[in-house]
Amino acid sequence: MAMTRRELLTLVAGSTALAACSRVPVQSQGASGGYRELHKQPNPGRETVLVCMPETTQTQQAWTGLNDELGKEFGLIAVRIEGRNDARIIEEAVQRHRPAGIVLMNNPTVTAYRRYESALPAAKRVPNVSIMTSFLQARRLGPNATGVAYEIPLITSVTNLRKILAERIERVGVVYRSSLARFVNDQRELAAREQITIVGEAVSEDPNESEIKAALRTLKQKTDAVWVLNDDHLLTPKLISKGWLPGLNERPWRPAIVGAESLVAAELSFGTFAVLPDHTELGMQAANVIFDIADEGWVLPAAYQTQEPLSTKTTLDLVQVKERFHLLPDALAHVDRVLK
Amino acid sequence: MSNPAISRFGAGLAALGVAWLAERRAQAAAPQLLVFLHTAVKQRALQDALSSGLPGVSVTTVGRIADFERMLAEGPDAVLTLPVVLRSKRLSIALAGHRAGTPSEKYVLVGADTAPVPTQVASVGALDILGRSGTTSFVEDLLGAHPKVVRVTKVEDLLPLLQMRRADGIVLPARLQAALASASRLKLAERELPGNVGLPAVAAVAGAGAAIVAAMRSLPVATSKLVGVDSWQ
Repeated sequence: MAMTRRELLTLVAGSTALAACSRVPVQSQGASGGYRELHKQPNPGRETVLVCMPETTQTQQAWTGLNDELGKEFGLIAVRIEGRNDARIIEEAVQRHRPAGIVLMNNPTVTAYRRYESALPAAKRVPNVSIMTSFLQARRLGPNATGVAYEIPLITSVTNLRKILAERIERVGVVYRSSLARFVNDQRELAAREQITIVGEAVSEDPNESEIKAALRTLKQKTDAVWVLNDDHLLTPKLISKGWLPGLNERPWRPAIVGAESLVAAELSFGTFAVLPDHTELGMQAANVIFDIADEGWVLPAAYQTQEPLSTKTTLDLVQVKERFHLLPDALAHVDRVLK
Repeated sequence: MSNPAISRFGAGLAALGVAWLAERRAQAAAPQLLVFLHTAVKQRALQDALSSGLPGVSVTTVGRIADFERMLAEGPDAVLTLPVVLRSKRLSIALAGHRAGTPSEKYVLVGADTAPVPTQVASVGALDILGRSGTTSFVEDLLGAHPKVVRVTKVEDLLPLLQMRRADGIVLPARLQAALASASRLKLAERELPGNVGLPAVAAVAGAGAAIVAAMRSLPVATSKLVGVDSWQ
């Protein structure tokens, strides 16, 4: 039976919050199911890298990337972490395996790890790499911690979109809450390298649909595209239904760049182009950070920078593009998934 | 659901199952070509183009060395990849790609604003064709230097290394430089590297490998050009 529009929007918003930033693991954020090793690849005589992760499709892909890179050089153990209260499981994993380095996947896992780590003296803290955490900021990481951001930089998304649409994409509008102003400014500096100007419209911390619609109407008058942040405060079912969709589906048309697969759906006509991290390559990128740490004797090099994700998977709503925009020749050869 | 409806539903399912099994058997019977190459288009697009150009051949393209090694272990009939990769797996070239009469091509070192000097770059981005140590050695041989090598598995992932200043330069086949430049407003500057790197080649690995080699000789020119080749010899 076909879903109603309300059901579809609820599913989209729910899966966006789940998938976009992996903030909510598959199971609850409360008590876990106990200690469980998801993968175990010992390598006798070599150091061990511990991977703390929930069990999702995306984390398993990241694990593949990690394992393909690290599995020949180090022992690799993956322990299931289901929520921010699993500090005890992390403690048990560290005691069992004495890792030289640790990889943490998603926000609740990082929270659980910080809770565990806070009880340790500095000398006992293990260098760690965070991935799949939302709006990763270096200044919030501990002294022995680094990571790879989860949000695809706008510079990457627009570079990809410029291979697909004939329309000029130079000014990109973004609706954002003030608490993400720093993130938007960081993106602005990066985007400028490719002559992309970010034009922002700030909304309140708890915006209503009128604010979203008004912000979109303002932005669409002065930009070539709209970038939708993976901010679940802005992507509730109500805001999507009554703010984003009416705002994006009226003229002037502007392509909408989104960061969640669920926001590109022909039935929805929301995102024009979704750019997501390639999770397997994200694992590879984290593995290379581990190699850098190992090369320094398992100490995080001084002033080691957090990284932006390099590799992406893209999806295009071809129905929407054919209705409103113009494709470049061979455009579809540069898209991973085309919705027809 | 009524009984007639159940019967029709069941018959429909059975028909689907038969069709699925038939397709699976057909795929299993077709000669298998494993392709490990990096091009300016997505792996999906490359696979579609090669499949169209090689009717009757089951083509699988991969861009990751780990995926290539896993699928190689499953025993394809033939492999299409770079000669340096074939050598690393102790496979012999049965058919070599040529362009402008030669079986090899030039690589370039590309930077933002100025053409980097190979012996002066601290870090270089490169396509991962041989895994961590193999690709590092490959790049070091090309440059005659020992920079840190940042490996990527897609051509389009090289540009972010320059955009985000993660590498001083990137190494790639000269023929891919134009695709990179067209996607960017950075002032990209390149320096041709000495030496030559073999163009894609085919190795017959098992059973129907010879048939695939024969089919490759007739690959449409437009498809061959996707992998940097204009003839197969």
